[in-house]
Amino acid sequence: MGMTGKAMLKLSNLSYQIAGTTILSDIHFQADTGSVIGILGPNGAGKTTLLKLISGQLSSQQQVFWRSNAIENLPAIARAQQIAVVNQFNSRVFNLNLEQIVSMGLLPHQTLFSKVSIAQKDVISTALEQVGLSAKAKQPFHSLSGGEQQRAQIARALVQTAGLFVLDEPINHLDVYYEHQILSLLRKIAKQQNVTIVMSLHDLNHAAEYCDQLCLLAEGKLMSFGSPQEVLTQTRLQQVYKTPCDVVIKPSTHKIRIEFYPPNIEQADVANGRNVIND
Amino acid sequence: MTKSKFAILVSFSVLSIFCGMFFGAAQLDLAGIFQCISHDCASNVDEAIFWQVRLPRVLVGFLVGAGLAVAGATLQNVYRNPLADPYLFGVVSGAGLGASIATLLFNGSLASQSSLFAYLAQIPFSYALPLSAFLGAFFSVILVQILSKRLFGERTEFLLLAGVAVSFMLSALSHFLLFMAEPFAANKVIFWLLGSLASAQMWFVWIMLPVVTIGVIVLWLYGRHIDAMLLGDENAQTLGIKVDSLRLLVLMICAALTSCIVAYCGGIGFVGLMIPHIVRGWFGVTSRSLIIGCVFVGGSFLIWIDVVARVIIENQEIPIGIITSAIGSIFFLFTLQQSRGR
Repeated sequence: MGMTGKAMLKLSNLSYQIAGTTILSDIHFQADTGSVIGILGPNGAGKTTLLKLISGQLSSQQQVFWRSNAIENLPAIARAQQIAVVNQFNSRVFNLNLEQIVSMGLLPHQTLFSKVSIAQKDVISTALEQVGLSAKAKQPFHSLSGGEQQRAQIARALVQTAGLFVLDEPINHLDVYYEHQILSLLRKIAKQQNVTIVMSLHDLNHAAEYCDQLCLLAEGKLMSFGSPQEVLTQTRLQQVYKTPCDVVIKPSTHKIRIEFYPPNIEQADVANGRNVIND
Repeated sequence: MTKSKFAILVSFSVLSIFCGMFFGAAQLDLAGIFQCISHDCASNVDEAIFWQVRLPRVLVGFLVGAGLAVAGATLQNVYRNPLADPYLFGVVSGAGLGASIATLLFNGSLASQSSLFAYLAQIPFSYALPLSAFLGAFFSVILVQILSKRLFGERTEFLLLAGVAVSFMLSALSHFLLFMAEPFAANKVIFWLLGSLASAQMWFVWIMLPVVTIGVIVLWLYGRHIDAMLLGDENAQTLGIKVDSLRLLVLMICAALTSCIVAYCGGIGFVGLMIPHIVRGWFGVTSRSLIIGCVFVGGSFLIWIDVVARVIIENQEIPIGIITSAIGSIFFLFTLQQSRGR
């Protein structure tokens, strides 16, 4: 798995219960700096809970470590300096503009009395440039498209200068163009700025294309962790998603393509696929 | 906020304070006022009117308007609700209850019954009324906070509804007490509840000035934290903010501001709702510029409303709360209609 180097993010025997019901049990994996981790699994598998444990929003009984520190032991400000969470937000009450939202990323680095320095202003304009929104800095946030809002949130995380980004379904409700735009932007950030990115995704093909490592969950259990080729096998996916599927490697790009079929389609048709990967 | 906008605000406020001194039953002319400021007043009557009536009244008016507007603005941002107003948290009805209890305890009729009442009756009513109103208002805010937390947990949108319910409850109590009390005392409380700057004195200024100044400065310092609350509780938390503590801090400061104001000047409603809405349109929604804008716009607004209260009926003053409520309720409906259209 190539995890011999110093792991930045480490989960060891992570379990989580709510009122006696086990939501996650014995999740463990490690991630290097600058790697993109995709959290996969059917609805209710525990993806969002896992992300909240990683970001420190839920108590992990000290089983999640970032740079060798148990995340929940970090004071709120120190955690915010190191971990950025990108959530969708729908509060439409007061109309902040894009720049105001992005500059909130400075908050963990400010005291009550500090002024915004020239260096910090540079950080804001660089972040806006990176996500391609410099021209829209003064526009009201709600006038932006879904993809632009998501990029604005990513710019806020960049301003936060955190080493770990945690994103819950960052491409939800976006069209195909924005899906690829956001995911390639995130990958670029991870590689250029050594940011570790953990995100939940529904689309397995996107996960295969943009993630270095995948974590496949089912009913709160870790089914597999590793490279896309290791994790996305036909038998495992059929078992987890309870839907027949076809896993092929496209000859042109050597990338994995996964296609699910409605369960009533003859298994024979599915098995006729070429280059089927078997476990 | 740009520097030019700030300069316009400050000069407008200074102008309002200055102009506010001319209006009233007695005539003071421009030369008279200049003379009072520069060396000495022309006559003892002028001097008394200037220093003991007009100046405290205008200054108290400014502080009341500024305090109410800032409290409204920060509560709205921290609860993400443009209709939040310090008065909706039961402040006025709580103060009313405190005032009603004071009229019962301090009117002397109970003094014969126990030595405690006899002792209490010796405290001058002019001190007892604001003090018990302050305690009542503060009690009410705490009650609303505890009730809504118990009944509705984290769902802050119910806080305002809990505030309305508590208001009715406390009003019923104080109305009952007033019904039982002697008519003269009841009259006094009712007039006070309508809100007025007529009794403003210089020592009001010396009490209100530090409360309003400290409150505004602390809220301004936390302005960036309050802004992050606009992103939602969860997002604010991931930026390192302790959401519950921040909300409690803001609520306590606003309760202190409003209780102090209500205690001395009675119920002056809707200022905290109206002014932030107007200021947002001019200076944007971020808390720091909003707070600065509210100080000056709210302060000047109240000075001019008080002028209207003094001159609209000749030789008589109408309580200022009647005017702000009349304007405010229309404004409230207008805002609701606008937000529906959005």
